[in-house]
Amino acid sequence: MSKVLVVADIKQGDLKSSTSELLSKAKAIGAERAVVAIGGNIESLSSDLANAGSDTQYIANDPGLELFSAGPYTTCVVDAARQFDADMIWFGFSESGKAVAPRVAAQLDAACATEITDVILEGGHIEVVRPAITNKVIQRVKINTDKLVAVVRAGAFEAVEEITGTENVVELSPPESDLKAVIKELVSDASGEIDLADADIVVSVGRGAKDQAGIDLVKDLANDLSAGFGSSRAMVDGGFMAHNKQVGQTGKIVAPTLYIAIGISGAIQHLAGMNGSKVILAVNKDPEAPIFNVADYGIVGDLFEVVPILREEIKKLS
Amino acid sequence: MKILTTVKKVVDVELTMRVEDGAIVEDGMQYVINAWDESAVEASVQLKENNGAETTLVSVGGGDNTDMIRRCYAMGIENGIHIEDPALDKADSSIYARVLQMVYEKGDYDLVITGKQAQDTDSGQTGIILAEYLGLPCVSNVVAIEVLDGQHIKVSRSGDAGTEIVEMELPALITVDVSINEPRLPQMRGIMMAKKKKIEVMDLAALGVSADDISAAAPRSEIVEYMASKTRKGGQKFEGEPADITAQVVDLLANEAKVL
Ligand SMILES: Cc1cc2nc3c(=O)[nH]c(=O)nc-3n(C[C@H](O)[C@H](O)[C@H](O)COP(=O)(O)OP(=O)(O)OC[C@H]3O[C@@H](n4cnc5c(N)ncnc54)[C@H](O)[C@@H]3O)c2cc1C
Repeated sequence: MSKVLVVADIKQGDLKSSTSELLSKAKAIGAERAVVAIGGNIESLSSDLANAGSDTQYIANDPGLELFSAGPYTTCVVDAARQFDADMIWFGFSESGKAVAPRVAAQLDAACATEITDVILEGGHIEVVRPAITNKVIQRVKINTDKLVAVVRAGAFEAVEEITGTENVVELSPPESDLKAVIKELVSDASGEIDLADADIVVSVGRGAKDQAGIDLVKDLANDLSAGFGSSRAMVDGGFMAHNKQVGQTGKIVAPTLYIAIGISGAIQHLAGMNGSKVILAVNKDPEAPIFNVADYGIVGDLFEVVPILREEIKKLS
Repeated sequence: MKILTTVKKVVDVELTMRVEDGAIVEDGMQYVINAWDESAVEASVQLKENNGAETTLVSVGGGDNTDMIRRCYAMGIENGIHIEDPALDKADSSIYARVLQMVYEKGDYDLVITGKQAQDTDSGQTGIILAEYLGLPCVSNVVAIEVLDGQHIKVSRSGDAGTEIVEMELPALITVDVSINEPRLPQMRGIMMAKKKKIEVMDLAALGVSADDISAAAPRSEIVEYMASKTRKGGQKFEGEPADITAQVVDLLANEAKVL
């Protein structure tokens, strides 16, 4: 029986949905399941971690782990992987996961695969499926080692309702801090905002919105819908939106129920981050914009005119 | 400061990809410098210009990389190393990292800058694994670099909850995101000078890697098949009076798609 260690995705003290999604997949392939949770103030999470579907919870809880630092986080995951004797270590999609997974693989002499959308146990070896070349193709990759470290693409696995676990906490000793790469500060504007990765609806703004006034207009729509508020790269490079709001190949991968793209052309790098959404609505004044090739519903029009009407019509629904 | 920058040649992602019998059809493919590596090159050249540095690039595999390396010379990189060997045909990230480790150890570098991922695999592993092999401090997804003194740099990393500010002791490795800069276009003078510059091409033996080392480093993963990705189809597109079509679409979102 294979043993899967899932690295818990914790943001601002909350356990994110990817953790139970990954544990559900582990259950589906008949694996023994554990989680490792790392953070500064997470003692209260153990029952959530069990309920997400794990039977062992490795917990590294230390004030020094409050801010993300790849070195110490790696040490914790490697420690848990060795204690559990994991043959697969799965991270949910996150920047921290992408930073830590290759390090864990190097330390465990394991293979590493990122952005995977499926895992198959095939005649004694592991295979994974993942997109490549800006999502233009899909690769089937054979793993030649006994151990695999993987980062799972957002939205790849679904959580099953009936998953349960048992609480069995193993405390990890706090790792040494990285004295050669010292995290000094986290400049954040995300507090209080809806996390893009978790949001049911995501509204994203592109260069079509032009400036701050345009962004505010689109943001009001996001607020009305209690939606996550994202952006194309153009608005991040323009200095209007924070890096961690960027949706796309080099930003966040999102797969919400509804994705609303406002004034976004639909470059392949942007599509790579959102074309797993269930339903896509696009507003663009150019009827030939490539975003319409992936949008389920398209409104050809000037966003400055359309967005206020959109808000009015949506308000009428409630 | 001595800077080593890694660059890889990749397929041009803007072209249409065709998959036949589990492989990508190579016909009509064009190859370009990986966009993230181009940003790594630009970052190195800016450090050279602003703080004084010696810049070297290394590229592993890719066949004839002359044009790409000359382009980097024209941007301002001073030295170029190209490692090419048939044994690297099936290389994965960990093997690339092993080869880059050998290159690093032959120089006396203070800073390694790699792109955070390559456009052909989108794996994002090689730089980070290289840092592990070298035991160097590493920060990935860097969007700004500041030199503090001869021994320290301060970098901004785009993280999950915001921008992380990290102070690093040199020697160190960083992987950069494309948003760190806008790579310059090579100018005529640079292009002319680049033509005269030499590229150091080596096979694994010249690098001091033995056949045993290579077989010991069998790829940990291998691509067994390519498939065409599922393409989404465009749905209904509405043109006309904004008030009418917007009301119509909201109704469809609520009652047809049932997502509002
Ligand atoms: C290696 C690499 C990685 C990248 N990663 C990402 C990524 O992660 N995410 C990302 O988004 N991009 C990424 N990009 C950039 C990408 O290629 C595009 O440049 C970017 O997505 C364009 O942003 P945009 O659609 O907002 O702007 P544009 O392409 O300029 O599009 C603006 C759109 O707004 C429309 N418009 C203008 N005015 C109005 C109006 N009044 N009303 C309605 N519509 C209007 C226009 O018709 C146009 O379609 C990457 C590029 C590279 C090379």
